[in-house]
Amino acid sequence: MTTASIVFVVDDDPSVRSSIKFLLSTVGLQVESFESADTLLHKKLPDVPSCLVLDVRLRGLSGIDIQRTLAARNIQIPIIFLTGHGDIPMSVRAMKAGAIEFLTKPFRDQDLLDAVRVALEQDRARREKEVEVTDLQRRFDSLTAREQQVIAMLVSGMLNKQIASELGTAESTVKVQRSRAMEKMQAQSLVDLAKMIEKIKGPSEKAS
Amino acid sequence: MTSERHPAQTDREREESALRYSEQNYRLVVETAPDAVISIDESGAILFANPATARIFGYDPTELIGKPLTILMPEFLRKLHENGFSRYLATGQRHINWQGTELTGLRKHGQEFPVEISFGELSRDGHKVFTGFIRDISERKQAEEMRAAHARQIAVRADVSIAFGKEESLKTILGECSEAIVRHLDAAFARIWTLSDDGKMLELQASAGMYTHLGGPHSEIPMGQFKIGMIAQERKPHLTNDVLNDPRISNRAWAEKEGMASFAGYPLSVGDRTIGVLAMFSRKQLTPDTTETLASGADLIAQGIERKRAQEALQMTQAELARVSRLTTMGELAASIAHEVNQPLTAVTNNSNACLRLLAADNLKPEVLRRALEEIVADGNRASAIVTRIRGFIKKDPAEKNRVDINDVIQEVLALADRELYENRVRLERQLTKALPLVFADRVQMQQVLLNLIMNGIEAMIAVTDERSLWVESRVDESGDILVAVRDSGTGLGSGADRIFTPFFTTKASGMGMGLSISRSLVENHGGRLWAAPNFPIGAVFSFTLPVSAGSPA
Repeated sequence: MTTASIVFVVDDDPSVRSSIKFLLSTVGLQVESFESADTLLHKKLPDVPSCLVLDVRLRGLSGIDIQRTLAARNIQIPIIFLTGHGDIPMSVRAMKAGAIEFLTKPFRDQDLLDAVRVALEQDRARREKEVEVTDLQRRFDSLTAREQQVIAMLVSGMLNKQIASELGTAESTVKVQRSRAMEKMQAQSLVDLAKMIEKIKGPSEKAS
Repeated sequence: MTSERHPAQTDREREESALRYSEQNYRLVVETAPDAVISIDESGAILFANPATARIFGYDPTELIGKPLTILMPEFLRKLHENGFSRYLATGQRHINWQGTELTGLRKHGQEFPVEISFGELSRDGHKVFTGFIRDISERKQAEEMRAAHARQIAVRADVSIAFGKEESLKTILGECSEAIVRHLDAAFARIWTLSDDGKMLELQASAGMYTHLGGPHSEIPMGQFKIGMIAQERKPHLTNDVLNDPRISNRAWAEKEGMASFAGYPLSVGDRTIGVLAMFSRKQLTPDTTETLASGADLIAQGIERKRAQEALQMTQAELARVSRLTTMGELAASIAHEVNQPLTAVTNNSNACLRLLAADNLKPEVLRRALEEIVADGNRASAIVTRIRGFIKKDPAEKNRVDINDVIQEVLALADRELYENRVRLERQLTKALPLVFADRVQMQQVLLNLIMNGIEAMIAVTDERSLWVESRVDESGDILVAVRDSGTGLGSGADRIFTPFFTTKASGMGMGLSISRSLVENHGGRLWAAPNFPIGAVFSFTLPVSAGSPA
């Protein structure tokens, strides 16, 4: 795993905190630990692939509370929950709310490392996608209103002739607008363009 | 009287007259004395005996003249007397006190009786004459003996009562009872058996005197067998002053060798049930006083055993109930305890695994290993301390009272409840008075009472959304007892206030309704009180008191 990622650990027990940090450090992971949810939530999280290892039972806000608060703030950081005892209803709730894993203490080291790896990969993928979508959106925004209109019709499967008739212009005009838009969007083909538009319009549909 | 002196009398005549008068006077005293007055010569032959001799010894004074003095003594004293007497004549050394010596006399018809003698000597014509006063002290002795017997009986009963008043095991108490019998009734040894629950076996519980071991062939005697088993079965005492010829005494050779004279065995009965046997062997004869004392002692011991057993049964039920209630409390605490134990275990596992990984990669630096091991040791100790605390709390042992600092108990319980307080966001305030006098208490039971009150307090605050506060206070109250109070800002006592100490009354969904009722009986068993009152402005306060242990610095 790359050093450009970071794992946040929240546990109110100092020895558990430091032991998790030690364990994760053996595979080269960078770890930052917190004793409570409040300190974590007040922190501006760095813009690198990261994940959260959270104890369910915490003073003040519980792990589940943190999950909810982050979701409300639209912070999409993957969460791995730790619990001192097998609390099944709580684990079901946490997993439904999108947790990566729910581990009962004491857990197998490999289970935590696997979960952290999955979480970081997921976050990295999400970030990469986010970057791509942002870029596409920027390109899309650089189109004129008419060009956006033409592209939308093209992607929906309409022919140049149909578009011209729909817009009340010449077919040659549509062709010019189409090639200009393709160029601005850096699309190689119509299929390529269709994929780009899909990414811009529906990012949430495929998210974890 | 000297006024009758005649002027014509010569000095000699006057002397003779005076002498005659003196002799008559002595004769009168001797003839009318209530004690026997006897004179002997140097050969020990009786020269003179007064009339009282006849009343005391049964001999006519005249028939004693010329007889040896030893005729008035029992066989065992004769040689002693002869030796002492001849030694005195030869050396002038007295072998007994001449004034007020207690000896044994022998009446003409053979009865021995206690006498007190005083005697003196005078010389006549170079020969010594001894004259003695012999007083029959039978009645005095009898009265003394009666007083002593009465005192012995009182002493046995008192010692038995004292023994049963102690908070000791039944075995220890019966040991003291058998010691009292040996001590006061001059027994060679005394033993107490109790009947087993199934009524088949008599089990030796105590043995005092020359044998004190409880093992061996006498430790268990089947009902109905041997003299002890028969006493229990027949429910009748067995008494003998002739152990050598008693058919029930099986070990005759032993009895003869040890010089045993008597045996007394009494059934220990309560109503129409036999619950054991009390028995003693003695080298002396049994007297009616001894057997009477034994019979009354046996009654007292039987009643004591019965009472003690009832008490023990009650205590065991209470102890078991208390333990079940402790387990229930532990069940309620289970989640937070699991978490608390798992924390250090998690740290240990993580640190170990991390080291193994570094080792596999050949990258484990000694400094890193040392730090990890130190943490592993610390966490191991932490887990073990938690387990010890829990184990101590749920142990089954019956009450074990020691001198305890109640503040220590409070701290231990707050450690157990720490996670529960923490997760329920309860603010804890300790108001502990330092250097409190110690109390004499069972630590585990006091932990239980406190934990129960604290858990109740937390529970009462679950519905409270404002600040949840719990105050734990310790101090000396107005009457000098130790007072512990647990105050909460919860929903208060409400309408069930008068029923909260009733068994099985509960307002909780998962509660057994035993906590407060058991806590109250545990506190009362310690001589204290437990009560509830409203707290102001909201919540409830539960307080209990414990008497200060004797000898504690005030």
